[in-house]
Order: sequence, then C-alpha cells, then structure tokens
Amino acid sequence: MHGQARQHGQVIEATDARDERLVRACDDAIDAVTSAIAALRDARVRTVVRATRENGVESVETTMTITIGGLSVVTTPADVPIDSALLHVLAEAKPAMSIRSLPIVWQNGSAAVLLHEAIGHANEHGSAPVSWPSWLSVDAPLVTRRETFRDAPLPRMKHLVARQTGAPFAPPSQHIEVQLIAGGAYDPVTDVVTINVAVSTAGPFTIRRTRAQIAAALAGAVGEPVRYPGVICSREGQELYVASHAPVMITEALT
Amino acid sequence: MTDVYRKWGRVVRYENGVTIHVEEAGEASETNGVFLAKPAQTRVSVPHTSQGPILESAGPTIEAFVAQTLLSVRPCTVERLIVSAGIARHEINGVTWTEESQRVHISLTQSPLRVLVDLASFDLAMIEKIATALARAGHERKPPGPVRLAPNVAAAILPSLIGELAMEQTGRGLDGRGQPIETRAVTADPPPNWYRPGYAVQPVRAWLNIRALPFGSIDKRAPLAIALLGPAEGTMLRVLCDDGEAVFPTIVEAGRIAAVSRDEPAWYPYAAGSFGAEMML
Repeated sequence: MHGQARQHGQVIEATDARDERLVRACDDAIDAVTSAIAALRDARVRTVVRATRENGVESVETTMTITIGGLSVVTTPADVPIDSALLHVLAEAKPAMSIRSLPIVWQNGSAAVLLHEAIGHANEHGSAPVSWPSWLSVDAPLVTRRETFRDAPLPRMKHLVARQTGAPFAPPSQHIEVQLIAGGAYDPVTDVVTINVAVSTAGPFTIRRTRAQIAAALAGAVGEPVRYPGVICSREGQELYVASHAPVMITEALT
Repeated sequence: MTDVYRKWGRVVRYENGVTIHVEEAGEASETNGVFLAKPAQTRVSVPHTSQGPILESAGPTIEAFVAQTLLSVRPCTVERLIVSAGIARHEINGVTWTEESQRVHISLTQSPLRVLVDLASFDLAMIEKIATALARAGHERKPPGPVRLAPNVAAAILPSLIGELAMEQTGRGLDGRGQPIETRAVTADPPPNWYRPGYAVQPVRAWLNIRALPFGSIDKRAPLAIALLGPAEGTMLRVLCDDGEAVFPTIVEAGRIAAVSRDEPAWYPYAAGSFGAEMML
C-alpha cells in the first residue's frame, strides 16, 4: 500500500497517493530481502518494508518475521543468518525440566521484552512510577509513530535498550533459562504485565505479575546489552517494530 | 483464470480525539496460488446511496455521537473510543455492489474492570446502559445458575459455537467474491461463501452473518450478562452481570445454550458478522 496523510489540528486527511521515490525505495529494499532469504528453505518469512517521509525526513525500515517449527523471530536482512540459526537450535530444543517456581535467567536479550512491557508501555500510558533497581538503566524514548497513512500517530517506543552498571549476578544452580518470548502485554487498568515464554528450559509458560512485583523480582544482570531478535509491538491495532536490547538478567521466581 | 477484485472506499473515523478521513482504492488477484494486492490508481466517484451522500453528513454525525457518548459515560473512564462511518464500492467479475458501514468500539474502565463494546450502529442507549452498570459494579462473584446473555454478548460468543448450536447463515448481499450470500444451515462442511475484510487480505471461506435458531424459553428472571469484560476465549466469557439488585463481574462457560430468544436479532461486527439475540445458559 502507499499513501499520504496531512494533519491539521485534530483532523487527518489521508489518501492513497503514490510517491514514486518512496515506492522505488521499497522496491530496492525488497530486492535486498530476496537475496537474504534465498537460503531459507524450511521457513515461513513475512517481510514488511516501509519507506516514509515525515517533515522532510526520509527513512526505510525492513522487518522480517521468520517462522521455523512454530517459533518466530523478527529480524532484518543483515541479521537473517544468525537469527535463523538461533531459531533452528531453539526449534530442536527439548525442555530439561517441568515448570516450577524457580529463579529465571533471561538469555538472548529476552529481558528486553519484560522491560518493554513493564517500563516502555507503562510510560506510554503514563502509569505511576515503580522503583527499579539502581543498577538498571533503560533507554526507551517515546516518539510519535504510526503504522500506516490511515492511522493516528501515537507516542510509541522508538527502541528499548536496557543496561546494567555494577549489578549482582549469581544465578543459583537451580533456575529456568528463558530463550525466546512468544508475546507480551501490559494492562494499564490492572498494572499487570503478561509474558508468554515460547522457549525455556522448562518449556513454554506464562508470567502474570504487577510491575511492582517484577521490579522487586529483578535480582541481577551481567554484561553488555544483547540484541533480542525481534519485538513487533501492537498497540491500538498498530504494529510497529521496536529494536530491543538487554543484558542477561536474573529474576526471582515469577511463575 | 484470474479474477481481479477492486475496491474503492471512503471512511471517516474518530479515534481517541483525532478524526481521520481516508480515501483509497485497491485491487487484488490470485493466480496459481499467489495472492497479489496493490493500490489501484484508477479513480471513481463513490456513489451516493438512496439515503443520500452519507459521508457528507458522517463528520457531523460522528462528532455529535462522540460528544453524546463522552457525556453519557461520565461515571467511567473512556480508555478507547473509535467511531467510524464508511462507504465502499466493490467490483469483481463484472459484478459491482456498494456497502455502507457504521462501527463503534468503546472500552470503558472503572478500575479494575474494563468493558468492551462493539456495535454496528450509533446506539447511544446501549453504551449509556452499560456505563451505568459498570459504575455500580461490585466484587467478583461465582457464576449464577441460569444466566441470560444480552444480544451484544451473545453475538460475541456465536462464532465459537459453530457446530455446537443450531444456527444459520442469513442471506443478504454479496460475499468477498461477489457471490450471493444465501440463507443456509451452518454445518461442519466448508462454508459456501468467502470473507474478504479488505482488498489486501486474501479471502477465506467463512460463514457470514450467522444467527442462532430460536428454541426453548428465556427465563426473564435470570441475571443478565450485559457486557463483555474481555474478549471471548473459546466459550469462556468474563462478563458484567446484572441480577436486578447488584452488578458484578463473573466468568461464565457458554458452551451449553439452554434457550435462544425469538426476538429480532441485531447484527454485530464479530468474526464475519454475527446476529445477536438474547440467549440463556
């Protein structure tokens, strides 16, 4: 699709006007995608290329959702080889234990999803502040974004990068390792965060906790932020890609 | 053979304080299993209807409805309000037809509860009634014995009851491939018609405009589930219930329907269209 939206105060006039320059930019990006996925024979790939110009600033964004064995990651052409390899490994993984109340080690940057819901979305909704550990800093700026020319722009996360400074890190011998998240949600009415874990050493499971409980459960982290392979964030029916990074983190039991 | 589907549409949509006027055209085709959709660069005049040029009045109509709605739900917080009116012309295989639509989605909160209301008409009275009940809501209760589902709640659960409850597809209009929608019993067989919610979406077989066939008798003394407190999950419904004295949230299992009202049902925008009539569990 293509289109143009002009906003005057609280009124938006949107039409499907065509901009040749942006259409060419999309076509070029699609060509890059085609070569990136040429080697993927056992995957389902959904690619979205968006070329936009807003207030004179042009940008092109390519996101690819790759599904193998019922598991999905969101990636870019440059990261396809490493992320599809990860997906193959995770699709073969078997749970090493049954789910039980144990501390959780969040691998592969997956803690970024927890913080995306508990900090990023809570900020979007203007929720009351919660006290987070002093070793944790989270950069999740809100900018005005929209999915299509038909949509109302909303304050949305541009990206989320979590960092630790001097955090403790002492994973107990008995713990669950989370590798991949299926999805998450934040409910501003109840202040409850829901995380659906897709792959862990205890198999898939769901976490439902208030933000205060999650903040209190954060027990440590180590290293630099790790790129999590993909967060497609849906709010008000508008799906947007949010680049997400977090170090390996530990929480107390949340199951 | 390639059938090209074309759609021209205009819609006015109010969304949480912003009014969006959208005009677009698109076309789609399917050849050898490949579905291709793209904007259409041909322009046509979207026809006026027998009711007059609805979009000329849609803006003021929506503005007035939004203002009245915001006033009428004041005991509660409006988390989301989306109101739209639109008109679309469709064309496929030389068949053309025009559709008009009105939609309302409102999410009202009274912490920790949230009601969700989806309507295909600007029904202020229903929204006001639900808001008033939400403002009176007490604590969660166990599901009452017999419970009635209001038409707006029954319509939401109906798509989950296909195969479990006698129902029919209601004949009217044309489907996503321009074929007539005929009245048929809903069965486990593949539906005869196609659902195409937008030109960029590949049409799928679906039962359209389903309605439950009336049976049994409704006990009007039974508590009434007047609104959804969340999307239906299979046949499980979290609802706001009014027993005549108190209003309370509860969870009901709607897998076994004891009666369906003979009252004229109303159409609701669930799945590929669902007619809601009062039902009793």
